[in-house]
Amino acid sequence: MRNWLLPEHIADILPATARQVESAKAAMLEQFRTAGYELVSPPLIEYIEALVSEDDGALDIKTFKLDDHLSGRQLGLRADITPQVARIDAHLLSERTGVTRLCYAGSVVHARPNGLMSSREPLQVGAELYGYAGIEADLEVIGLMLDALRLGGVENIRLDVGHIAIFRGLVAAAALDATSARELFAALQSKDGATIRELVAGVAEPYRSAFIALPELYGPASMLESARSRLPSLPEIELGLMQLSAIARALQGKVELSFDLAELRSGFYHTGLLFTAYAPGWSDALARGGRYDNVGRRFGRARPATGFSLDLRDLIRILPARHPARGIRVAARQLPDASNEVARLRATGEIVVLDYLGESAEALGCDRELVATSEGWQIVPFH
Amino acid sequence: MKLTIALSKGRIFEETLPLLAAAGIVPAEDPESSRKLVIDTNHEHVKLVIVRASDVPTYVQYGAADLGIAGRDVLIEHGGDGLYQPLDLNIARCKMMVAVSNDFDYEAAVKHGARLKIATKYPQIAREHFARKGVHVDIIKLYGSMELAPLVGLADAIVDLVSTGNTLKANNLLAVEHILDISSRLVVNQAALKLKYSTIQPVLDAFASAVPA
Repeated sequence: MRNWLLPEHIADILPATARQVESAKAAMLEQFRTAGYELVSPPLIEYIEALVSEDDGALDIKTFKLDDHLSGRQLGLRADITPQVARIDAHLLSERTGVTRLCYAGSVVHARPNGLMSSREPLQVGAELYGYAGIEADLEVIGLMLDALRLGGVENIRLDVGHIAIFRGLVAAAALDATSARELFAALQSKDGATIRELVAGVAEPYRSAFIALPELYGPASMLESARSRLPSLPEIELGLMQLSAIARALQGKVELSFDLAELRSGFYHTGLLFTAYAPGWSDALARGGRYDNVGRRFGRARPATGFSLDLRDLIRILPARHPARGIRVAARQLPDASNEVARLRATGEIVVLDYLGESAEALGCDRELVATSEGWQIVPFH
Repeated sequence: MKLTIALSKGRIFEETLPLLAAAGIVPAEDPESSRKLVIDTNHEHVKLVIVRASDVPTYVQYGAADLGIAGRDVLIEHGGDGLYQPLDLNIARCKMMVAVSNDFDYEAAVKHGARLKIATKYPQIAREHFARKGVHVDIIKLYGSMELAPLVGLADAIVDLVSTGNTLKANNLLAVEHILDISSRLVVNQAALKLKYSTIQPVLDAFASAVPA
């Protein structure tokens, strides 16, 4: 019997990596804390209606469902923490009318993996800011996201920024029905110019040309100028391009920056700016975020919101393993005499390992040992 | 910056050569005669990897190659998740068709509401096509010699690529329905387009300007 076999896309995190994951998580949460983000820890299971909004098919298919024998209702195993945090802001913290900053770190479970190399149990770390619609809030969250990635050890980050209101504005102005909008959305996500041309064949100008232009509007900040000339001047588009230019001005020189007006992949619930982080070595985005105003409406309180999240497991997968810290060996026969010294060393943060079998330095993970001398306990090299 | 392009041997490779030439890329060897799977080019930083046509999207999706050229048929079957498909290259053109044996009355069978057995290498395209028509089908996935299936009673119809129609004719089959026009697309890894923009965009532009009409 192969009872040790794990399900597909499910893996243990083994010693060295587990420590690396844990310290990266702690560093990120500490960084969030000092920026005023309060930690929340929502439950693993909830009623399905709270976890997945009715029209979010993609999240629905990713969510494991189970029956609650206590209530007879259906529960879901969370596949995304963002809706849970939105529920907390909308409902439990509803007496707060100002800005609320929340952060979290926890496992989510996906019934279907995001990709062939994705874990079905991502470790989602993220931060959300509620109650302020200004672009300053988006910049705050982008800064937090970049810092979190750098803390995790990622270098040469490229930030790609888009704006979903530009697409939504065009859809509304061209009066497209929901099905056509969905098909266009899918074709835009893959910059599938040929399919977009087919789909918009019957759409009135100037919207037809605008949809055809969208997949070509990506690249450095200078692209925003050509976007201005190629897209009609709808209020949503004016505002979107203005916000993107503001982002360009604020972040120029601080991070490798690019823009993409057809990048809509971040999420179903987004309403405004979208930001995605890439880095050499990862074949997909490392962290995603954006503005999702009114996400709390279905919980009874609509208000501005922006945030980001990343999968710490995916992050650690590519990073070079760090050499774990080496410890101090103490031969077990030296106890109980050495007890006080061992306790003292451990209190300073040293790893102190009791050696029962007389093992090698390699096996014990130690590079020093504690020995008794005429002058008391001394630490000497151990090979 | 390094650039890896995934290609399949045969027709796609032949018809891609002029596009590569437009981007100033010339392969150092001919994959038909070489056994190498990684082929150098006249540029130090550009490599070609030779893979099966149906594997091209997988290599590009996971970043093993930055760019690739794959048929629309292959992309639909793969799902195309996580790939950009910015350019229809208008090469390796053919049609995805439904074909039946000369003596099978397809119209009547469909009208009748019969449940059809369909042999195909393209289950995704076949399933989607018949679902849109409102016809119940059982899909039999085959890997080659599709034309045999109706002749030996394995299937009522086949869904397959047709370029000249000669194979159908030689086996007493008749194309009865046109599903899709197929041609090859340029596919790009999404992270690569962002991270290697300045290397990839000129190649994309060169390809776009050289696409045959």
